[in-house]
Amino acid sequence: MRRAVLVLGVGVAVLAARHAEANEFRVCADPDYMPFSNRAGAGFENAIAELTAKALDAHLSYTWASNRGPGGFSEYLSRNLDAGKCDAVMNLPFGNQEELTTDPYYLSSYVFVSRKADGYDLDNMDSPILRKVKIGFEHDTPPEDALKLRDLISHAQAFSVGDSEGVSPASMLEAVGARRVDVLITWEPAIGWFLRDYPDLRVTRVPNSRASGAPEQYLFSMAMAVRKGDEALKQRLDRVIAEHKAAIDAILGRFDVRLYPAAGDSL
Amino acid sequence: MNLSAKLVRSVVGLTAGLAMTVLLIAPPGLANEQLEKTSGDPNQWVMPGGNYSLTRNSKLAQINASNAKDLHVAWTMSTGALRGHEGQPLVIGDMMYFESAYPNYVYAVNLGDIGHMVWKFEPPRNPNAPPVACCDVVNRGVSYSDGKIIASALDGHIYALDAKDGKVLWSAINADPLKGQTVTAAPMVVKDKVIVGVSGGEYGVLGYLSAFDIKTGKLVWRAYSAGPDHGMLFDPEKTIDANSQKAVGKDSSLTTWHGDQWKLGGGTTWGWYSYDPKLDLIYYGTGNPGSWNPTQRPGDNKWSMSLIARHPDTGMAVWAFQMTPHDGWDYDGVNENVLFDATVEGQPRPALAHFDRNGYGYVLDRANGKLLAVHKFDPTVNWATAIDPVNGRPTVDPAMMTKAGVNVKHICPAAQGDKDEQPSSYDAGTGLFYIPTNHICMDYQAFDVKYKGGFPYVGAILNMYPASPEVRGRFIAFDPMSGATKWAIEDRFQDWSGALTTAGGVVFYGTLDGWFRAVDMSNGKVLYQMHCPSGIIGNPITYMHDGKQYVAVLTGVGGWAAIGLAQGLTKASEGLGAVGLTAALGDYTNLGGALMVFSN
Repeated sequence: MRRAVLVLGVGVAVLAARHAEANEFRVCADPDYMPFSNRAGAGFENAIAELTAKALDAHLSYTWASNRGPGGFSEYLSRNLDAGKCDAVMNLPFGNQEELTTDPYYLSSYVFVSRKADGYDLDNMDSPILRKVKIGFEHDTPPEDALKLRDLISHAQAFSVGDSEGVSPASMLEAVGARRVDVLITWEPAIGWFLRDYPDLRVTRVPNSRASGAPEQYLFSMAMAVRKGDEALKQRLDRVIAEHKAAIDAILGRFDVRLYPAAGDSL
Repeated sequence: MNLSAKLVRSVVGLTAGLAMTVLLIAPPGLANEQLEKTSGDPNQWVMPGGNYSLTRNSKLAQINASNAKDLHVAWTMSTGALRGHEGQPLVIGDMMYFESAYPNYVYAVNLGDIGHMVWKFEPPRNPNAPPVACCDVVNRGVSYSDGKIIASALDGHIYALDAKDGKVLWSAINADPLKGQTVTAAPMVVKDKVIVGVSGGEYGVLGYLSAFDIKTGKLVWRAYSAGPDHGMLFDPEKTIDANSQKAVGKDSSLTTWHGDQWKLGGGTTWGWYSYDPKLDLIYYGTGNPGSWNPTQRPGDNKWSMSLIARHPDTGMAVWAFQMTPHDGWDYDGVNENVLFDATVEGQPRPALAHFDRNGYGYVLDRANGKLLAVHKFDPTVNWATAIDPVNGRPTVDPAMMTKAGVNVKHICPAAQGDKDEQPSSYDAGTGLFYIPTNHICMDYQAFDVKYKGGFPYVGAILNMYPASPEVRGRFIAFDPMSGATKWAIEDRFQDWSGALTTAGGVVFYGTLDGWFRAVDMSNGKVLYQMHCPSGIIGNPITYMHDGKQYVAVLTGVGGWAAIGLAQGLTKASEGLGAVGLTAALGDYTNLGGALMVFSN
């Protein structure tokens, strides 16, 4: 896969960042990607950033850049966080090697989205109903691998919301509502907030699995991230996350980001 | 024996009916026979590879090892395009034709009036195409036949242009970018057909080779690289499994895939095509199977990573030889197949040589695909401990197999291979192949947690780095029968340009950082070099005009070798730079397509 070179590769970015003012919390964020963030500050990552700035007793300042431009999220990190235009991003999976992640501040999951009226029995990726329905999935995410593994991919519909600027995750729900897709498998935080406009749809979690041999992971913990080496800021952010857990959970709740407990799951 | 000379003798004559129509531009004739004949005329360069055998060898000798030091730039011109130029000009009579990287400008330049663009063709731009071009928006050149210039555009359109004025005579659609399909290859004209393949193995494309009628652009046949026999144009009883030398049998592809996975089977066909008029067979290779993660596609995944021979009239496969079953490294099998006469047990044998991404040079009997010789052409190859000399099957070092949940260090070669599409050249006089190669290894780290805007996922990390300190490319003189490397030039970056050998004893190639070189074929001594406006991933050609020999090459860095530079991706170049692959390239060269023409 030649594409590997574009998205893969660990770089230890050693870029001298402009030292932030002591009372400034400088965040890079997407100006147009709800429910995560937008320029008006209406997304849940905006709200978490505001809470964090307040807890740090700092002024929040943004550098706006698309998460979904050429080169994808890695390029976004390189051109913004690594380039010193900001000191933190609010969105990177915990344990990612490209930057230094904080402790996770929420844990969510990939989910099945289906029409309530259909009453599909959806427990896991091996649920028999998946062999009979039209499945939608986000390109290059864990459900794609799972569908390939089970020979379901050739009947499935790929979406590329995460690569397409200006495309709302709500477009995937619309496809389910309009019966172009029967079961959508997607990252819950991307669509939770839009579900209030689709009362006829329901959400079921996809459990992690080892049913087919290789581990299949659908549960991810999300963290903030700072530049590699910026231990000082990481520790300050870790403290905020630990001390304001209830407030963070409340914000996520307002945006219908469903928090899934890790109990019983093997990450 | 020079093959193109042999081909000329097999031509019996021209077809009178067509003779009148194209006199102004070039000698007339039926596509196949005329091309065979003119490819033997060293004054012209009528096919991408110089001839159907893809030897990229010229009988011109005015520039020789004694006077090559006096080479200089005769003239240059911009191609108007910034990105990777992996093609070469054609010279037909007094005209030169070439195509740029996307947006795929095609130029006709009058050699008698330097700088005069007689016409320029610009295909309509399709904004859906560049985003699904995995490895830069490259193009590998035009073909000529019967008064027509055949050009492929990135978005999958194939254009037949009137060589006189650039008017579109017909266009055909060979790929759909909305399905991840693009075209970067140079078409080949055989008989009355235009043969061309497809790119997009990274986007779930099932590869195929197409044949279009040269007069009308109508699709005549299409042969898929995987799936049911009828789609692949395989005859279960007659098509030979070249590895076993037995009939392939029923469902030779389907039985090597789990379920329906062949539908995303990959096996794209974006390399070079060759043709043997005597056997009436075309030869090409297929790319990587459809999913990076080999754990998810058990089986040999046929006929990905294979060399295939087909009849041009029907597309029916005569034989298929798989080099890398169950690929775990992205060693696409698309590199050129150069037709030459091998000497086996003292007897000449019609053979083809193929220097694969996987680091092995294969020599096959071109009638039945039987393996005649196989040797490493880079000493660092370690993914396989051996290749069976009879059936060609690799013994994979299990420690070097990439798989889910396992980190693997120091796999050689890296995914770019010890050689990618950059075409080699063969000289029958020395019996050696002159091969531009890569010299790189990689680490594969499984299961890193990654993020695409809005969506977490698990993926693998690939780090590529030079196989020897500061050496990422080697230009070698190589004997594929013995595996001996006669000499090697070590270069800082991957050698990603093509090679051109000449009867003057001089071989030409270019470097990724922009040096164009004339090298003594006997000893590898650099006789002349010139730093060009941009790095070179194009392929040198030579021709004669007004009694003087010229050498021409397209410069214009890009392609996979220079993907960070081409796409302005700081993370990609930083990521690779952390392991030292091509981060420094931008310190030596810059983007920008230009034609360079040299003479004494």
